[in-house]
Amino acid sequence: MSDAPKNIVSPQTIEQVYKPMNRRTFLKGTAGAMVGMAGLVAALKPLLALEKGEISLDDLLQKHYRQLSPEDLQRIMTMLEKRCEKQYGVRPTIQDLKPMDGVQFGYALNLTRCVGCRKCAHACLAENNQSRDYDDDLSMSYIRVLEMNKGAINLETSTAYYDPELVPQKDKYYMPVQCHQCKDSPCTKVCPVQATWQEKDGIVVVDYNWCIGCRYCMAACPYDARRFNYQKPTIKPEAINRNQDYLSNRIRPKGVVEKCTFCLQRTRAGKYPACLEVCPTGARVFGNVLDPNSEINYILNNKRVYILKEDVGTLPRFYYYFDV
Amino acid sequence: MRMRSTKHGVPPSLSRACLSVLSLVACGMWLALAQEDTAAKPQLPQLPKVARPPAAQPQVGLATDAHLNKTPPRETKGLDLVKLGWTYNCMECHKLLKQPRWHYDRPMVEHQDVKLQHGNNRFCLNCHHPTNRNAFVDYDGSEIQEADVVLLCAKCHGTTYRDWQAGVHGRQNGYWNKEMGESTKLRCIQCHDPHHPAFQPMKPLPPLRYPPRAAGGSARSSGESGTHP
Ligand code: HEC
Ligand code: HEC
Ligand code: HEC
Ligand code: HEC
Repeated sequence: MSDAPKNIVSPQTIEQVYKPMNRRTFLKGTAGAMVGMAGLVAALKPLLALEKGEISLDDLLQKHYRQLSPEDLQRIMTMLEKRCEKQYGVRPTIQDLKPMDGVQFGYALNLTRCVGCRKCAHACLAENNQSRDYDDDLSMSYIRVLEMNKGAINLETSTAYYDPELVPQKDKYYMPVQCHQCKDSPCTKVCPVQATWQEKDGIVVVDYNWCIGCRYCMAACPYDARRFNYQKPTIKPEAINRNQDYLSNRIRPKGVVEKCTFCLQRTRAGKYPACLEVCPTGARVFGNVLDPNSEINYILNNKRVYILKEDVGTLPRFYYYFDV
Repeated sequence: MRMRSTKHGVPPSLSRACLSVLSLVACGMWLALAQEDTAAKPQLPQLPKVARPPAAQPQVGLATDAHLNKTPPRETKGLDLVKLGWTYNCMECHKLLKQPRWHYDRPMVEHQDVKLQHGNNRFCLNCHHPTNRNAFVDYDGSEIQEADVVLLCAKCHGTTYRDWQAGVHGRQNGYWNKEMGESTKLRCIQCHDPHHPAFQPMKPLPPLRYPPRAAGGSARSSGESGTHP
């Protein structure tokens, strides 16, 4: 949305449309003009935001993340920091951590351990600065914990709204679902403007300044892993995590899609993702698949893992397993 | 009778509590030591007040992650006993109990709050050291210190211990990349109570409200529902 409109209808073209003036063409022309005007208005809408100071000229003229020079990116990140301070009252530090060499991330989740306490889903909020209407608003959390009936892995009979006194409940098991960071990711393929792509370490990221908010990627995702900012994100200053990354948890503009990045602001600095840090049962295992001694490789070598919706063939980097 | 604690100006109510503790202990001792104790009846054992040692828990995760709640599921108690507001070191009593007992054909007079529900692991002395109660016991009778309690569990749960060492049973916090920083492992007893180790059910955090925002937004508390496309 904040991205430069590509085909502004120039006044000249509109003039050409209704040049020969008879009634028929006049009507046709006005109709065309109306459509043209509507298009023009829509296309120029960012200028309105520009006028109001919500975005800057830089936003409109900004290049795609991967074409930005380091200096440009630095300038943009400083600008974003300032804007965040102005709009949310907190000055974050936005950095741009690059993928590490020889690292591809993998994540495994032990369904025998998971008790469905939702600590991961709430930690995701605390870490990733999602928009919240109230303090515990999980709607933008990247993790949905599904309560499943024992006996089958059937998503159709699962629910994310369970709220018993205590978990786990008898005859239920719990399956947290988040972005699987697929190797053959459908979401990146459908993006008309390449605002989302897969990085060298396997993490699928979004350039929030390039996203046009068409939500094709959300439709393409088999795991319901993407969230859309229907409104300007609301977040209390004290809830803001200041450790931010350009491609990950910086506060998003309105009208863009966001998603789990395995907390790349943490994991590219060598730390565990937030959801793993808080898991009380130790159901989550994270690491570098290319390192033969990593914990994730221990799982892949010693446990029998399975892939959710393997049949859709997107080659996830997220594995589930059962384990006595 | 003279109590050490009165030196520190303990109010009478406290010393009364202390007295009752002593009589309670004495009662236990009497039962346990039945014969030896009869002669020494007027001389009650003197128990110095010991401060409860800080729980021997390593720090969990990184200090910079204050926004994430990493509290382990269980708070360990450590090897000391609190009774009526007093803290006793195990050996304060146990140095007086000469004979460790494997089996009781009556309810124990002390430690009645310990209800062992650890499967077929039914004997206290499978874990607690028979002569030094401040430590645990290994297969060969040597001591396992409290800080190494994981080795105690490893005695019988070898496969789980192997997973724990590899970092996949229990939780690791900190850095996945060991070259960039430290990581900590939770110890077994920070999740499992050794006396009834089954993982305890817990209260779930608040759920997603229905319907979620994208579906029309009646989950909004602000009331301005349905304003977005
Ligand atoms: C599985 C091994 C194991 C067995 C069996 C066991 N304990 Fe323990 N016990 C422990 C461990 C480990 C601790 C330390 C707990 C902590 O730090 O939270 C402990 C702590 C204690 C404590 C001090 C903390 C408290 O809970 O008040 C007492 C008293 C105790 N045990 C008594 C007993 C008695 C009596 C029995 C037999 C009925 C017994 N234990 C059987 C492992 C065991
Ligand atoms: C208040 C005094 C007291 C303290 C403190 C105390 N014990 Fe005991 N403990 C006893 C008595 C008395 C018995 C014997 C009970 C009986 O004979 O019924 C006993 C018995 C036991 C037993 C059963 C095995 C045996 O040898 O009889 C274990 C295990 C044990 N205690 C562990 C501990 C541990 C571990 C601690 C430190 C956390 C501890 N106790 C602290 C008084 C104490
Ligand atoms: C002397 C051997 C022994 C020691 C030491 C021991 N256990 Fe156990 N543990 C057992 C046995 C036996 C069972 C029961 C297995 C079964 O029922 O299938 C068991 C079961 C368990 C279970 C499963 C309980 C359940 O209901 O699902 C857990 C968890 C456990 N132990 C944890 C621990 C921890 C933690 C320690 C260390 C403090 C420990 N154990 C020390 C023998 C031991
Ligand atoms: C982060 C918390 C955590 C830690 C630390 C932890 N466990 Fe567990 N453990 C669990 C959970 C959760 C379960 C699953 C319980 C269930 O299914 O009811 C479990 C299950 C078990 C079981 C039952 C068999 C199984 O695998 O389901 C045993 C035995 C066990 N743990 C032993 C240990 C031992 C030994 C250690 C230390 C080396 C340890 N645990 C450390 C959380 C933990």
